[in-house]
Amino acid sequence: MQAVLDAISLGGTYALAALGLGLVFGVLKLVNFAHAELITIAAYIMVITNDLPLVVSFLIAALSATALAVLTELTVYRRLRGTGPAIMLIASFGLSVGLQKSFELIFGALPRSAAVAPWMTGSIEMANLNITIASLVTVGLTIFILLAMGYLVDYTTLGLQLRAASADFKTARLLGVRSNRLITSSFAISGVLAAFVGFIVVVENPQVEPMFGLNITILALVGIVIGGISSLRGCALGGFIVGFILSVLNTYLGNARVYAYSYLFMAVVIILLVRPGGILSKGNEMERV
Amino acid sequence: MSLLKVENLCSGYGKVDVLFGISFSLSEGKSLGIVGPNGVGKSTLLKTIAGEIVPKSGVVSLLGEDITGKKPEDIVRLGLSLVPEGRQIFSGLSVTENLLLGLTGRKDKSSSKIALEQVKALFPVLNTHAKHQAGMLSGGQQQQLAISRALLSAPRVLLLDEPSLGLAPNVILDVFEKLKEIIANKTAVVIVEQRAHLVASFADQTIVIRDGQIQATLSSADAKNQELLRGAYFGPGS
Repeated sequence: MQAVLDAISLGGTYALAALGLGLVFGVLKLVNFAHAELITIAAYIMVITNDLPLVVSFLIAALSATALAVLTELTVYRRLRGTGPAIMLIASFGLSVGLQKSFELIFGALPRSAAVAPWMTGSIEMANLNITIASLVTVGLTIFILLAMGYLVDYTTLGLQLRAASADFKTARLLGVRSNRLITSSFAISGVLAAFVGFIVVVENPQVEPMFGLNITILALVGIVIGGISSLRGCALGGFIVGFILSVLNTYLGNARVYAYSYLFMAVVIILLVRPGGILSKGNEMERV
Repeated sequence: MSLLKVENLCSGYGKVDVLFGISFSLSEGKSLGIVGPNGVGKSTLLKTIAGEIVPKSGVVSLLGEDITGKKPEDIVRLGLSLVPEGRQIFSGLSVTENLLLGLTGRKDKSSSKIALEQVKALFPVLNTHAKHQAGMLSGGQQQQLAISRALLSAPRVLLLDEPSLGLAPNVILDVFEKLKEIIANKTAVVIVEQRAHLVASFADQTIVIRDGQIQATLSSADAKNQELLRGAYFGPGS
């Protein structure tokens, strides 16, 4: 039971990271490697402000990650828009490395550590099972955020514009969708999602260093590829699958867990062989004309 | 006063020049056809007017306001809407969602509901398929959806790029009948078409573009003269 909950919890965390990446990719066709640093800044802030009430600490972390996301959009990506995907991609690499080095200068190269929400590291008994509070909170929080995101995407004007822009940004603009506003909103939402990811990860791993968010971002990128990069649902599903598989492998491989990534990527290759465009790729859609 | 005025417009893609000094004007409730062989810059002209391409020189005015180089999302709010080539409906979204997107560029949001009812009355088939995925509509229905979506921004000028593309002859006639109703409603319409004769006989005035320049301006009466149209379209000696 704990193993299943852990797998769902890690899957959910990766789903949130993948969703943040997918949102920006949808509107800008940019794989934002600097998403990792949004997770990292949120984690740093959670550690630094851990003596504040959790909600306040998280709000500051979320504001910081959102501000950084918007700042990168306004100062870097907006200026490079239209230069081509390769330049944007290299810029996102550069931004990622630049931010890591900035974190090193500001927070130091050594990990910063503090118990964030220590009450979550405890466990409770349910039906003769010992379950960690962190897993329960993570699963609950992830479900809540995914439902909220589902509502935003499916039932709000912003969500409709995001879906339209993901499908065809040029036409969306011809209809009046304000490109700058929509892209900035996507970065802001991705910042909030990154803050949630930073919070969830830092609770279980309170050792924050400049590359804290890199691993989860790379695996979330794998997730959006296997889920279907053209669909937000696909991104979330792909992220979930990667996290779930990784957690199950880590649990059951025992001493052989060093091979977990090998098995994970083998599973990814198999999925891509069967569904090259990703599980929920647009190729699935029937079109009459 | 002209609703749309284009003066000495030069446009292209990067270092490639496509249009050289295009000028025309269009008044309320009038229609203008734009014809010419493939690759002469007809679609480039519409894209430049609608703000998708920034012109190299020249001026585009809408209702007397200079809109040259403005963003497409701002131009649609000023009253000019483009139905792009190939319709470009959002095939993964429902018909209703496509229509709701059309309201994005509408200034007066209070009349959105009425506007939706009006386009559904003009194209009743959209009501029938409201909840269906737009990609499942037939070509003619998709064209109707694309036109409706553009109309929802309440444009004073409607640009249509190849509205007959891929449609059966009877469906084309249906679409042009609906365009007549739109024009009767005082909207000025610009139609780019490969089917020169069709648009020349439909529009109040037709310009023939070749090599990025206007070669001839024909009235609807001139369109009956096949020789004149052919000569303007293919050039001297055709």
